[in-house]
Amino acid sequence: MTLDWSVVWQNRDALIKGTATTILLTFATMAIALPCGAVVAVLRLYAWKPIRGLATAYVEFFRNLPLILVVYWAFYVLPILTGLGVSPLLTGLAALALNVTAYNAETFRAGINSIRRGQVEAAMALGMSRAQALRRVVVPQALRRILPVLASTWVSLFKDTSLVSVIAVTELAYVAMQIRAQTFRVLEMLTAMAAIYWLLGYPQAKLVDWIQRRYAVTE
Amino acid sequence: MEFDFAVITDHARFLASGVGVSLLLAVLSGATSLATGFIVALLRLYGPRWLKPAVVLYIDSMRAIPVLVVLVWTFFALPIVTGLTMPPFFAALLGLTIHLAAYAAEIVRAGIESVRPGQTRAALALGLSRSQILRRIVLPQAIVRMLPAFGSLLSITIKDTAIASVIAVPELMRQSETVAGQSFQPIEVYTFAMLVYFAMLFPVTRGIDLFYRRVAHLGRS
Repeated sequence: MTLDWSVVWQNRDALIKGTATTILLTFATMAIALPCGAVVAVLRLYAWKPIRGLATAYVEFFRNLPLILVVYWAFYVLPILTGLGVSPLLTGLAALALNVTAYNAETFRAGINSIRRGQVEAAMALGMSRAQALRRVVVPQALRRILPVLASTWVSLFKDTSLVSVIAVTELAYVAMQIRAQTFRVLEMLTAMAAIYWLLGYPQAKLVDWIQRRYAVTE
Repeated sequence: MEFDFAVITDHARFLASGVGVSLLLAVLSGATSLATGFIVALLRLYGPRWLKPAVVLYIDSMRAIPVLVVLVWTFFALPIVTGLTMPPFFAALLGLTIHLAAYAAEIVRAGIESVRPGQTRAALALGLSRSQILRRIVLPQAIVRMLPAFGSLLSITIKDTAIASVIAVPELMRQSETVAGQSFQPIEVYTFAMLVYFAMLFPVTRGIDLFYRRVAHLGRS
């Protein structure tokens, strides 16, 4: 077994670009999934009954599907649905956003439900409207409980972006596996890929631990 | 736009074999991750002091690296290191276990730590040994409290088996890709696969929920 690690350095530009795409995908997905998740959660909690059912069905469906299948499905269905050629990057983004929105919606719902009803009732007894009670009493408390969960969703999302490599989005995993196929330096490239993910992911995992300790709910 | 779901019935047996492999892989890797996770957690909590940093490093690394990367590395790179080639199914079982055991270990640790230390002290005062305390006092309560987390780990396991398609394990995702490619009807095939995965996963998440509600009182103290 002769190893030649120079292949990693030689392909640094492609790897850096791939890493940038991975990070971009993570941020873009969260930027979509946070507001959409909030909307779905509110629909699920307060909307007209049939809409509530639809929102629940959406959340349960996407939480119970492997993401890699959603990625493939989006890859074939989006072009037909929209009638446009959609780039792999946008397709991957759509699949990730569909998935993470469902998770965020569940997180928001659980966070809001974790605040006791009595608080809303008390706020309304003091003359606040229901919307005011939500905005000023429930949401500020719920946010503290939601934040740690969002943080771990963030790390999962960061890792899950690797799955869009199956539809040729040029993020880190795809780029590394392409170089592996071209140079046949299998062990070197795959180890480098794992190392880059580790270097990026490890501090995030540690940060999540810190956030969870900082915002731990003490009853 | 026309859909023809005859492609599903035409390849029913082929797809059903994929479902079988998916379930087998999920059950096996679920069991091995659970067993490994228990050992890892006990090592982290009660093992020799020099071993703990290594265990923590392993657990946190698995939380940082995507399962796809672990699977691809196990299948393509590990044989170069060891000189032994592995069949895809075995590589997937190994890779999933390495990845999921870290999560299982965290669940077990949290469960054990959730039992108040006063109980251990009381048991020590009554003359029980450390292993007796773990077996008869701590674990019976801790295991019940771990159940919901194990339920979500099982559903994650089933979802992660789909990623084994990348290393050519003939499970449902891989079989669906093959049928979709041959028939040029990806929408029908992948939509069908979605329904099958949902039908596998939804009862698991719901079943664990219901089961936990029935036994939750056993974990209270």
